[in-house]
Amino acid sequence: MAERYTSFEPGGTRWLWQRLTAAFLVIVLAFHFFLLHFVNHADEVTFAMSEARMTQLTYFSLMILFLVTATFHGVNGVYNALVNQGLSGSRKTAVKAILGIASLVLIVQGVRTAIAWAGGVPI
Amino acid sequence: MSQSYNRGLIEDFGRWREFSAGMWAWIFHKFTGWVLVGYLFTHIAVLSTALTSEAAYTTTIQALESLLVVRILEVGLLAVAVFHILNGLRLLFVDLGVGLEAQDKSFYASLILTGVIVVASVPTFLAGVSI
Amino acid sequence: MSTQVPEQVEDESSAESVSPGKQKRDAKKRERAERLQEQREAEAAEKARTADDTYHLKVFRYDPEVEGKQEPRFDDFYVPYKQGMTVLDALMWARDHYDSSLTFRHSCRQAICGSDALFVNGSQRLGCKTQLSDLSEPVRVEPLPHADVVKDLVVDMEHFYDQMEAVEPYFQTNSLPDEDEEQRQTRENREKVKMSTRCIWCSACMSSCNIAAGDNEYLGPAAINKAYRFAMDEREGEEMKQRRLEILEQEHGVWRCQTQFSCTEVCPKDIPLTEHIQELKREAIKNNLKFW
Repeated sequence: MAERYTSFEPGGTRWLWQRLTAAFLVIVLAFHFFLLHFVNHADEVTFAMSEARMTQLTYFSLMILFLVTATFHGVNGVYNALVNQGLSGSRKTAVKAILGIASLVLIVQGVRTAIAWAGGVPI
Repeated sequence: MSQSYNRGLIEDFGRWREFSAGMWAWIFHKFTGWVLVGYLFTHIAVLSTALTSEAAYTTTIQALESLLVVRILEVGLLAVAVFHILNGLRLLFVDLGVGLEAQDKSFYASLILTGVIVVASVPTFLAGVSI
Repeated sequence: MSTQVPEQVEDESSAESVSPGKQKRDAKKRERAERLQEQREAEAAEKARTADDTYHLKVFRYDPEVEGKQEPRFDDFYVPYKQGMTVLDALMWARDHYDSSLTFRHSCRQAICGSDALFVNGSQRLGCKTQLSDLSEPVRVEPLPHADVVKDLVVDMEHFYDQMEAVEPYFQTNSLPDEDEEQRQTRENREKVKMSTRCIWCSACMSSCNIAAGDNEYLGPAAINKAYRFAMDEREGEEMKQRRLEILEQEHGVWRCQTQFSCTEVCPKDIPLTEHIQELKREAIKNNLKFW
């Protein structure tokens, strides 16, 4: 067992980012829920209203940042859960790759949707 | 030693009655985390109907929101999100080394607060839905 | 309470000089005495079972070398209660009076040697430190979870010891004092590591940890606490601290801890394990930020 700990593979960076994104998401997720369920009501959603919000640069960039941090936090959380269950070796590499691709697809799709609403990047 | 005996799952979740506050907090946090990451993917998938056309998006969302099941699921989502947020705050404090002696109380507090917020939000979440 | 039942030693020198007739009679007498003894034991057991002041223990039994014990089962023992009786006392009484094959580790009986960590009524405790009067009946005594059972209440501790060794659990330093000087520690520093020095390697925390159960490579609370004891000791010097942090910072080091607080709750020496692990996480992060 003891020899296994000689290879230096820090896991601290991901741990720190998980916490940093958490602190950010606590605020943004609460804001997101509040804005889209209490300020605007669920049965009144239209493309036009999303469009109106998304054309503002601050809201647009906040949502992009929200998407990226949420994806990292969620996917990294899933990965951690699997490592905690003893995932290792080639299966671990495979899981890492699949999760990486999935998050990439998610972010690309999310950004495309945001751009569709804003009608291009609102600069 | 000729042989050893592993008692398998009996040692783990079969013992749920004996779990302590910290363990429950972890289980709930994991569970809500899985739900939220699952929702994130479906959320983006549904929203990306906006890529097809404006009308497609509006009709899809409004059709979904008119269903009672969807509204009830949304209340569930709120519960899950609020718990994850509150317990997440608790965990951030634990990571900072603050209030470790009260970790069980802060877990119960986040549970109760989640309940209160969810119950208070039910009218808003179910507003305008046809049964 | 004695660990052994006093046995009657036979006087061999007198047996040699007596006639065969007397030998026969003696043999018969012995047989009768044995029968009587058995009967008395059975009566005592029956009395113990029905008496008010007995404790009912359900003890995990397993022995791969004995047919009929290969499938784990629980045995019931009714032990007469004496004030101040611990789980370990009860187990010893059961072994001495009912079944001498009942196997468990124990040594000092005062929560120092760390050999008798058991799973009692759903929680990891030291047998010698747990009062029967604090437990509800029947008292379920099992070997530590998340470890392989060797026999009855004895588990294989090899993996736990490997994890402990992995953090180099001994004092190391490059900065030795002058020849005639002592290696002094400040009072404040001693206070800081005080609780962490109390570990008795009983493995209760490791057994309670859900992550250590799933991830075999995870160092576990005891080993991390041991590393804390030395990493926080200022006498070891900066260089050694770096080396210790490098061990702890690996993927299966401190980062696997999910702050479930199970270890802190079961630790029989009240070591704030989670607090120590959390402090090492922050220490590791700070250490890495310095180099950015």
